[in-house]
Amino acid sequence: MKARLLHTTAIRLALRYAVFYALLTGAGLGVLYWATSRYVDAQISAGLENELAVLVKVDRQEGRQRLLAILRQPPMMEGENRRYLLWQSADGQTRVGDLKGWPPGLSADQRVRNIWIEDALIPHQVEDQDGYWPMVATRLDDGSQLLVAQSVRLAENLQEFILTAMGIILLVTVGLTLILGWRMGRQMLERVDLINDTARQIRQGNLSMRVPSSGRNDEFDELAEHLNRMLNYIEQLIRGMQEVTDNVAHDLRRPLSRLRNRLEVTLLEARDEAAYRQTMQDAISDIEGMIRTFNALLEIAQAEAGSYRGEWEAIDLSTLTRDIGTLYKDLLEEQNQQLHLHIEDGITIRGNRHLMAQAISNLLENAHQYAGPDAQIELLLKRQQGQVVITVRDNGPGIPAEQHKRVLQRFTRLDSARSSSGSGLGLSLVSAVAGLHGGSLTLEDNQPGLSISLSIPLSSQHSAPQQG
Amino acid sequence: MHILLIEDDQEAAAYLSKGLSESGHVVDHAADGEDGLHMALNGDYDILVVDRMLPKRDGLSIIRMLRADGKTTPALVLSALGEVDDRIEGLRAGGDDYLVKPYAFGELLARLDALTRRGSDATAPTLLKVGDLELDLVTHKVRRAGKEIRLQPKELQLLEYLLRHADQVVTRTMLLEQVWDFHFDPETNVIDTQISRLRSKIDKGFERPLLHTIRGRGYRLSESD
Repeated sequence: MKARLLHTTAIRLALRYAVFYALLTGAGLGVLYWATSRYVDAQISAGLENELAVLVKVDRQEGRQRLLAILRQPPMMEGENRRYLLWQSADGQTRVGDLKGWPPGLSADQRVRNIWIEDALIPHQVEDQDGYWPMVATRLDDGSQLLVAQSVRLAENLQEFILTAMGIILLVTVGLTLILGWRMGRQMLERVDLINDTARQIRQGNLSMRVPSSGRNDEFDELAEHLNRMLNYIEQLIRGMQEVTDNVAHDLRRPLSRLRNRLEVTLLEARDEAAYRQTMQDAISDIEGMIRTFNALLEIAQAEAGSYRGEWEAIDLSTLTRDIGTLYKDLLEEQNQQLHLHIEDGITIRGNRHLMAQAISNLLENAHQYAGPDAQIELLLKRQQGQVVITVRDNGPGIPAEQHKRVLQRFTRLDSARSSSGSGLGLSLVSAVAGLHGGSLTLEDNQPGLSISLSIPLSSQHSAPQQG
Repeated sequence: MHILLIEDDQEAAAYLSKGLSESGHVVDHAADGEDGLHMALNGDYDILVVDRMLPKRDGLSIIRMLRADGKTTPALVLSALGEVDDRIEGLRAGGDDYLVKPYAFGELLARLDALTRRGSDATAPTLLKVGDLELDLVTHKVRRAGKEIRLQPKELQLLEYLLRHADQVVTRTMLLEQVWDFHFDPETNVIDTQISRLRSKIDKGFERPLLHTIRGRGYRLSESD
């Protein structure tokens, strides 16, 4: 866990931020340090110049003896803020004051300078040490020189204080950033671990596992939700695929064995050309039926998987429905079935034209097949409560209400209709097409007869494929 | 006609070649995409039959290369991919027609016929004619032996398609695709009904029928039987 934690994004981010904050704080404190030092320098300079002026005034007004008396007193201010004075005669032989010698390099020009002071110049009883001391000197009227110096203690202490404070602030900043990053990293890792666990279990075959949500509605919950939705979709696809495989095996095995037997029996004895020809014709029809079943299964699977979404287009549903209705009208009339069209004009939806056409045609073929001769069949297209509804209804024998659900399952041919042709996939395909377009398929009793409605919402046409 | 068949399935290619030869065509066969492209670029063919999935170079890429080279030889794409998307992609690549495996051999023959004769008359005629049946494309009037026949809009489109492909077999699927623009396979035979309805209007009462049913294949509008 710890080794991994060091590799987490959070920790890496935390480290990066720590460096960033350290630099930022350092820069800020540096400016503060510089400004403070300047201020202190200015204060010291002013103090030194001021004191020098006072001493020069004493020398002029009260005489040299008074000045030297002042210089012979011990250093003026005690403690850290210590000031040193020194007077030196014009010939450099006599000195009165706190320092043991005239600092080399100091010229008496009344300007404050930082001058290097050796330990040897500093009186023994003082704790000050060598360093650059700010000092100022002037030449008196008789050519002797007077200096005022300030030990660096005060400035040094202030600098030390600021540096210590800077160090502490930097440490605290970096420390806090690291601790925060560490905690964030752990928290993130825990949530990521949950997702990883789920993924691991799914890979081991437990397809129904889902990523738990913390209920905090944060990014991780959003991620979990997206993952879960994707997993739902994948599970649905896999289940669909398994179903298709099962169905293919189930429904193609029968016609395949029939075909095989037909060919084998024909080969048992020598037959005339007409018999062979007939067998081959029959075999081709068998194959055509199988191909049709196969295609229908694939189409259902693809519609349910939503893989037709690439070819979404605006469909003039009114024209499409009318064209298909007209196409089937004559066919139905051959069996004395009457088809009546009630089609509202100007209905357009977005969808897959090919599948919509297939769906409407399946509804009509279903009615044609099961409504019986002399049936009255109606094809309706209308807008109704924000939906587009395509209805095919007949006055045939209908289907008992308790069987309505079963009809939509694949390969269902109700017992009464078992002998009739058709793959039994027609309505399942319509149902899948409805789902693809975000709609539904409903069966109702037409009293007498059956009414099947395909409803597609006008608003939510881009929604994900319906489950189920 | 001279057909180039590009198909890597040797057995399927053998059957196809045999069937096409027996139907009166001359067939050259290429077993992979590179050979196919080479032969298509250098040979003089009336039509190409190209399988979509081929070793070395896929079928659509062959057609794209040909079209880029300025070759307009019609191409029919054979494919085991059945989705409508794939069909659209095939046509977009420059294919002229698209047939999904498994297909009926008659369907292939009819489509090859339709494709090769399509480009032959460059000038757009205003009058289509078979025997004494004629369709004026400007006025949309249909006459047989000078007598006017009234047709519904879809019947008119159906007749126009049949006239444009006179003396060729057209299949039910071709009619459903070309006249109705439906790419699905109805379980019942709606097209038969439409044909017999058209037939009752253009053939009924005339001594010589023009609209023939070719068993197991489709229909043909022709003066001869």
